[in-house]
Amino acid sequence: MAVKKDLSIEYLGVKCENPFFLSSSPVGSNYEMVAKAFETGWGGVFFKTVGIFVADECSPRFDQNDKNGLPWVGFKNMEQISDKPTEVNFENIYKLKRDYPDKIMVSSIMGSTEEEWRELAKMSEQAEADLIECNFSCPQMTSHAMGSDVGTNLELVEKYSRAVAESTKLPVIAKMTPNITIMEPAAIAAIKGGAKGVSAINTVKSITSLDYENLTGMPVVNGVSSISGYSGTAVKPIGLRFIANLAQCKELEGVPLSGIGGIETWNDALDYILVGARNVQVTTSVMQYGYRIVEDMISGLSYFMDERGFDSVDELVGLALPNLVPAEELNRDFKIIPKIDLDKCVGCGRCYVSCYDAAHQAIDWDDKKRRPTINDNCVGCHLCLNVCPVKDCILPGEIEWKEGRTPTEIKVKHYYD
Amino acid sequence: MSKVIKKRYTEEADYGFNLRTAREEARRCLLCLDPPCSKGCPAGTDPGSFIRSIRLNNIKGAAETIRSNNILGGSCARVCPYDRLCEEACSRTGIDKPIQIGRLQRFAIEQEKAFKMKVLEAPKKKKPFKVACVGAGPASLACAAKLALEGYQVTIYEEKEKAGGVLTYGITPSRLPEHVVAHDIKTVKDLGVKFVFGTKVGRDVDLNDMDYDAIFIGAGLWGDKLPDIPGVDKEGVWTAVEFLKTARVEKTKFKPGENVIVIGGGNVAIDCAVTAKLLGAKNVRIVYRRSIEEAPADMKEFKYALKLGVSITTEMAPAEVLGQDRVEAMAFTSRDGVSTAKFKADDVVFAIGQKPEDMTAIAAVKVNEKGEIKATKSGKTNLAKVFAAGDVVSGGKTVVEAVAEGKEAAESIIAYLAKKEGVK
Ligand SMILES: Cc1cc2nc3c(=O)[nH]c(=O)nc-3n(C[C@H](O)[C@H](O)[C@H](O)COP(=O)(O)OP(=O)(O)OC[C@H]3O[C@@H](n4cnc5c(N)ncnc54)[C@H](O)[C@@H]3O)c2cc1C
Ligand SMILES: Cc1cc2nc3c(=O)[nH]c(=O)nc-3n(C[C@H](O)[C@H](O)[C@H](O)COP(=O)(O)O)c2cc1C
Ligand code: SF4
Ligand code: SF4
Ligand code: SF4
Repeated sequence: MAVKKDLSIEYLGVKCENPFFLSSSPVGSNYEMVAKAFETGWGGVFFKTVGIFVADECSPRFDQNDKNGLPWVGFKNMEQISDKPTEVNFENIYKLKRDYPDKIMVSSIMGSTEEEWRELAKMSEQAEADLIECNFSCPQMTSHAMGSDVGTNLELVEKYSRAVAESTKLPVIAKMTPNITIMEPAAIAAIKGGAKGVSAINTVKSITSLDYENLTGMPVVNGVSSISGYSGTAVKPIGLRFIANLAQCKELEGVPLSGIGGIETWNDALDYILVGARNVQVTTSVMQYGYRIVEDMISGLSYFMDERGFDSVDELVGLALPNLVPAEELNRDFKIIPKIDLDKCVGCGRCYVSCYDAAHQAIDWDDKKRRPTINDNCVGCHLCLNVCPVKDCILPGEIEWKEGRTPTEIKVKHYYD
Repeated sequence: MSKVIKKRYTEEADYGFNLRTAREEARRCLLCLDPPCSKGCPAGTDPGSFIRSIRLNNIKGAAETIRSNNILGGSCARVCPYDRLCEEACSRTGIDKPIQIGRLQRFAIEQEKAFKMKVLEAPKKKKPFKVACVGAGPASLACAAKLALEGYQVTIYEEKEKAGGVLTYGITPSRLPEHVVAHDIKTVKDLGVKFVFGTKVGRDVDLNDMDYDAIFIGAGLWGDKLPDIPGVDKEGVWTAVEFLKTARVEKTKFKPGENVIVIGGGNVAIDCAVTAKLLGAKNVRIVYRRSIEEAPADMKEFKYALKLGVSITTEMAPAEVLGQDRVEAMAFTSRDGVSTAKFKADDVVFAIGQKPEDMTAIAAVKVNEKGEIKATKSGKTNLAKVFAAGDVVSGGKTVVEAVAEGKEAAESIIAYLAKKEGVK
């Protein structure tokens, strides 16, 4: 039978139908959009950030970049917070919660003064939102009293978190910026101020590519451009890293985390959950494909849990954390020599090129037969395995112990997608 | 010199995808709004959804979509004429070439098997109604599966020893390997559908005497069809159906003669020619009375036959089978009446269309002048409790259409039995 699992999970005291939420952005900025998202299966929505400040946007404001013709590797936006009147936004939040009581509405807010933060918190509570998220992280605000300039200033993070937490009984989440060397101090400051949860990441400051017509970055606004936020697949590794760091931080123990950045498939979501997120948020892939992608997130995660015998998402949260260790703790006594399956090999020579030019000249190339063989220079870096275009052609082979090291039982990965 | 390919009879004609190549192909999909490909599939297999699932790495979800919409999803993936169905509708064609939908479908169904997934499950509690299906071809299998999923008790009667109809006794295994058909049929069996083999309805049993609440006829076209020309009674003259069935049953033990002529211009003719070639015939020639342009066969299939070294002669109609007791040659006259030709032949296969056997032997259904059962689009016949669909109604279409029609007839049966439910 079609596998339908219970994907519900408790997050900050709120029961969520599933962990898949829209992150605060244009994908959840009015009543009709959010209603459609709920109907499609999203568990909740972080509504487009509301401020007292109403944004005045530029045009155009988006760009995406590709790698070898694969578009949307990453996405850049120059948007600020909501461009709709403050009251209209809260009215929409209120109506959505009223009409979809089982779905979760998070009010994302951003003030420019303590007073504004307090006011927005109260309005969120009046609008009957379930949770409040403080946007300390938009990297392209026109005012330096707002956005990621706040998120990188520990004093302001704590002060504004406190202002919000004091003004409402709703649980408060601090949304962090990745434009910072380490995120833990800012997260700790938010918790000190009274925030109950942390979400990350907002967008990464970026220039996607240059425009040679106007000699500026993309997108071009009247001949010029700005550095602004990058998101999508390319930022997922960065997002995962920050969530794992927060999850492993002693001072933040027990703080529920929400993972954001480059989530498109159930695997992406699961990755965040395995490194400690109880909730995940999505924007860019919805901008590319629409709300419907949640259907495959729900179905894919259900099948995964069914296959591995998990009964609730809760059991998955942070499962990979014990296996993420500092570099100094890695066993460096052995090397795994790759094994080339010459029946699968198509003779492209890419392994040879990469190994010669970028590794250890450990592949010999038979230019008549067009087939590679690994020689004694191999250090087991697996560059060849990563570059080979044929599935399962190069896989981990024999384990060799470095001179003078004592062999022990080790675990090897066998399956590569 | 042209390079012809040599293959064994059971060797697969086409390669499949692996996870990596499948996702590469799915990446080409435009993820269209209201996907035209899905509209192009008669059976509603919904490629728009399953390709999206593959693209988003939800492979099991893709298999689930296919199997729940099309009980013969594995077989269809191999034999559907995509170039005039889903792939013809594909928006990507406007950029370069369509997504390889059939091949992606094949990949997903292969994963269903590899992961031992059980997508469909019939309800434990059965409805108090029994339905009999005549024939175990695509139409009956689709009808039976749909009914079983709704809790009805279904028995399929099949004249032959195995299920599948044309899938098992017609289409060559190089295009449709037996294990693919077997896997599809297993999903029907797993729903609790009962099969009675070696039993011809109307000859060995009379369903009208038995306590079935409804009867479905999906008997296909298994009547002989030979042209009215001199010499067709000679040894070595075959109907396509007999020829292919013999090959499927005897496999490589079946040895056609050195020179084989296949007459016809449809996919069936090509299957016969390919079969003859793969079983070792040296010279195989397809002769068709019209032009390539008018031929109903898919270009893909013509190309495949050419690649195997089959020759194709057009605009020549059969005139006479020559020889003593056995065929020795075939005489033709050209369409324009200008020329005649004589080709040496050890076997002659007529693939000029099939017709139904006598359907009134099964039930008192109305038939048309060709013997095809008169039924509505939703499978209703002149008799309230008798339904029919597939080739026996349409006069011969495709597997996927037989599936669609079988499914639709099941809906009619369900509606008919629902009315009776209050009474029982
Ligand atoms: C050689 C050949 C190649 C083809 N190639 C393709 C292709 O590539 N792609 C495609 O889409 N379509 C193809 N078709 C068409 C396709 O196979 C048919 O449209 C489809 O099989 C029709 O399904 P059906 O269930 O109506 O009939 P069938 O598949 O003919 O099944 C009917 C079944 O009923 C049984 N039966 C008949 N009478 C009785 C009775 N009285 N009692 C019990 N059992 C009975 C028969 O033995 C048979 O098993 C091909 C057809 C042929 C002949
Ligand atoms: C067009 C656009 C507008 C955004 N607006 C907001 C916003 O108003 N508030 C906010 O907290 N984050 C905003 N974000 C950031 C996203 O919520 C999210 O944190 C980020 O894009 C990373 O996730 P993704 O890779 O799934 O897009 C915006 C992102 C994009 C692309
Ligand atoms: S996406 Fe819609 S709003 Fe934006 S430029 Fe295109 S048409 Fe206009
Ligand atoms: S990269 Fe892979 S396929 Fe290419 S030569 Fe090396 S082993 Fe063979
Ligand atoms: S029509 Fe083609 S491109 Fe569009 S969804 Fe279907 S397969 Fe993809």
